[in-house]
Amino acid sequence: MAVQPILKYPHPVLKKLCKRVEVIDQCIAGLIRDLVDTMHAGPGSVGVAASQIGVTLRVCVVDVSKNRLGKENNHGLLCMINPEIIARSGLAVMREGCMSVPDYTGDVDRATEVTVRFSESDGSSREITASGFEAVALQHEMDHLDGVLFLDRIVSIKTGLFRRKNYS
Amino acid sequence: MTPQPETLHYAVSVVGKDRPGIVAGITEGLFRLGCNLADSSCTMLAGEFAMILIVSHQRPFSKARLFDELKPACDALGMSLAVRTLHADEIIRQETDSEICIISVYGADQPGIVYRVTRELAGRNINIMDLNTKLIGTPQEPVYVLMLEVALPQGETPEGVEKLLEKLKKELNVEIGVRVVTPVAF
Repeated sequence: MAVQPILKYPHPVLKKLCKRVEVIDQCIAGLIRDLVDTMHAGPGSVGVAASQIGVTLRVCVVDVSKNRLGKENNHGLLCMINPEIIARSGLAVMREGCMSVPDYTGDVDRATEVTVRFSESDGSSREITASGFEAVALQHEMDHLDGVLFLDRIVSIKTGLFRRKNYS
Repeated sequence: MTPQPETLHYAVSVVGKDRPGIVAGITEGLFRLGCNLADSSCTMLAGEFAMILIVSHQRPFSKARLFDELKPACDALGMSLAVRTLHADEIIRQETDSEICIISVYGADQPGIVYRVTRELAGRNINIMDLNTKLIGTPQEPVYVLMLEVALPQGETPEGVEKLLEKLKKELNVEIGVRVVTPVAF
């Protein structure tokens, strides 16, 4: 068990573009174990990206199966190396928070369905199509690999009415 | 005797006719004084710009110093100014594990919509965290829109709130919806 501390903004690593994993070796296996342990240690955590524990590699883990919003519709534990979104559809707003940005939440637009291609720890390639809460979790974690925080995606600073006069 | 806090907090409100440069004009004075903007909400209401600021400063400092710095800027901008010293107990960080809901209420404009809805909520100890209202539609057919963000106390459910407001919905002939917007933590 190797639970790592979650880095908090303004730690500079959180804004770094993570590098592709070229060789899946013991180090990557160890990183994935740390990510899973760290996720399970965080109360209610449904995902951790490598940059959140200080490693700038394109690796993240997601597991929404124990969450109230994700338990009906999920792929269980996903350990993803070099994940890429190859298709997305739909749009929904969800109010998000992040362990790396404590005490702040905001409304973020996310695709409601995403198809993600990634490598598994045995090197095999896998493709999944996720929807609902799992899709949002995947997008949130994969954003970390690009140095993007939910703060970069907040769509409204005020809950309220559309104020535009012209709807054209 | 409780120890005196090192940091002093003030509630500052500034309201006046909207125009570009208000925020810069007010915050310049705060910056000059070395004040922190601990929390703030500023918005346009009709043609007015309304600023509510929680300002902090290390001791020694005084409300008079804050007021004297801001007053000329407010006068120049034609804004009203009010400053209140906050007691140390008032500035404790508000945290909640509650379910957060948005309640939307809209329908033909009539007196008492806000009062009738919020009275029901207060009766069940449902705390309002954010509220805004807007009069829309046409002068012939004015429509009132009320949006509330509320924290549900333990044991209260979104369905329970919907049921609570059901009677009002019929009585006032307005639409009332309750949606959960509790943040998801990643």
